[in-house]
Amino acid sequence: MSVVSGFGKALVIITGASKGFGRALALSVAPRLAAGSVLILAARSDDRLQELKRDLCRGESALTVRCVAADLGCKAGVEKVLTETRDTDPDIDHLLLFNNAASLGDVTRYCRDFTDVDEVNSYLSLNVSSALCLTAGVLRSVPRRTGLTRVIVNISSLCALRPFPSWVLYCSGKAARDMMFRVLAEEEPDLRVLNYAPGPLDTDMQLQARSSSADDSLRNTFSVMHAHGQLLTCDQSISKLMTVLLDDKYPSGAHLDYYDL
Amino acid sequence: MEDVISGESCGDLGRALCIITGASKGYGRTLAFQLSCLLKPGSVLLLVARTADQLNEVKEDIVTLYGGQNKLDVRCVQADLEKTEGVEKTLQAAKETSSSEMEHLLLINNAASLGDVSRFAQTFTDPAEVNRYLSLNVSAALSLTAGVLQAFPRRLGLRRTVVNISSLCALKPFPSWVLYCTGKAARDMMFRVLAEEEPDVRVLSYAPGPLDTDMQLQARRFSGDLTLRRSFCSMCSEGQLLSCRESGAKLMKLLLKDDFPSGAHLDFYEL
Repeated sequence: MSVVSGFGKALVIITGASKGFGRALALSVAPRLAAGSVLILAARSDDRLQELKRDLCRGESALTVRCVAADLGCKAGVEKVLTETRDTDPDIDHLLLFNNAASLGDVTRYCRDFTDVDEVNSYLSLNVSSALCLTAGVLRSVPRRTGLTRVIVNISSLCALRPFPSWVLYCSGKAARDMMFRVLAEEEPDLRVLNYAPGPLDTDMQLQARSSSADDSLRNTFSVMHAHGQLLTCDQSISKLMTVLLDDKYPSGAHLDYYDL
Repeated sequence: MEDVISGESCGDLGRALCIITGASKGYGRTLAFQLSCLLKPGSVLLLVARTADQLNEVKEDIVTLYGGQNKLDVRCVQADLEKTEGVEKTLQAAKETSSSEMEHLLLINNAASLGDVSRFAQTFTDPAEVNRYLSLNVSAALSLTAGVLQAFPRRLGLRRTVVNISSLCALKPFPSWVLYCTGKAARDMMFRVLAEEEPDVRVLSYAPGPLDTDMQLQARRFSGDLTLRRSFCSMCSEGQLLSCRESGAKLMKLLLKDDFPSGAHLDFYEL
């Protein structure tokens, strides 16, 4: 199998890998990894992860795929992923962590309805805290070394930059994440940190957006996008992401949107 | 004694229920004094913080200065907003104020913490620590605001204003300040969404500038990034820190003029 321009021998970690963008990422990244690479896939659904693993390992493959069924909304889940990370062969050229796992939150409600602190905390725990803690843990497990390129990708959104009615949790979480990774980029000049906004993808999350958003105008916009074939396939978006990562010219900490590229 | 706002800014904030979190010291305390001058008789000032003693001191000083003859009803709520019970207690206290003649609901989301600024992002491996931080600095602000807006719904004759005490850190990343920057960025966005959703609510994210407070002391003593720590020290030694009074006065002007775009982020230095 010819290896397309790739990441060499790498340790790649993808959260939210069981479906949607995360799954498509795994399938796109795999062919770009050299023999001896390790791909760690994390999600809550073990069944779907195993199915993905089977798809990845079809035929001959010098790729090691490890599935980690974990709920990143809780500490044990983050720990579980980190444990897998620690078990890997340190002789790699590239570390890539894709912080992709996320949830939309309840978009049927408005700011004034989020009176329950526990609900907000639970949302932030998955969408903000786990991304920071997982990234921190991974960087500690795979420390800086000559010849090793470490890449941290945050799957961001236009929502990190612009407010959308009935989307307070998602917008706040994405804004928080972008800033988090910008601070990381400031602190660690040897890291390559990218906030990538993939555009409106045709996934389950998008389905939730167009069927549940309380704001009529927003819901309408999503429906129209869907009806007019304006949603992107995950592959379309990933293709651009791969180019950006392989060209490796982006300013660390930058927010890049599919439509900017 | 706090200065009375100069006659330059005329007008007042009406007969109000004014809630200030983090009111026991620093910026919150100053805002309590400054707002007291601008509230009409019959107003209620609800001061929220963790330390009852300090809160009571603030209350006594305000009552001495402005509270006489039932002019201002100052109430203290001892609450830790990091916990659900703290938010609920605050909300309960707000609901206990009589609202039939209230002209203005004014909520100042000021309570905040710096987080451990001696450490860098890659040391934050404990979700419990990060969750606790976000609980106080993000979740509490959202839930308290939500609860207050629901308790005092839109009605003719009622002005509703929500202020988020923001920071330059909401816009710019600072090394060794991951929690604070992240929390402030989240808050700014939260309040921008609120402004989009509630066109009748006046929403303001106000970045007060570098204030001479305990938080600033923490910043210049503990910041893990040497360059940052040095710049805080030099701001202090060169007298470049702002007094809470000076910064608070600008916020008062903004609230009185009331012409800021709802959801905007305004910085002391831009005004």
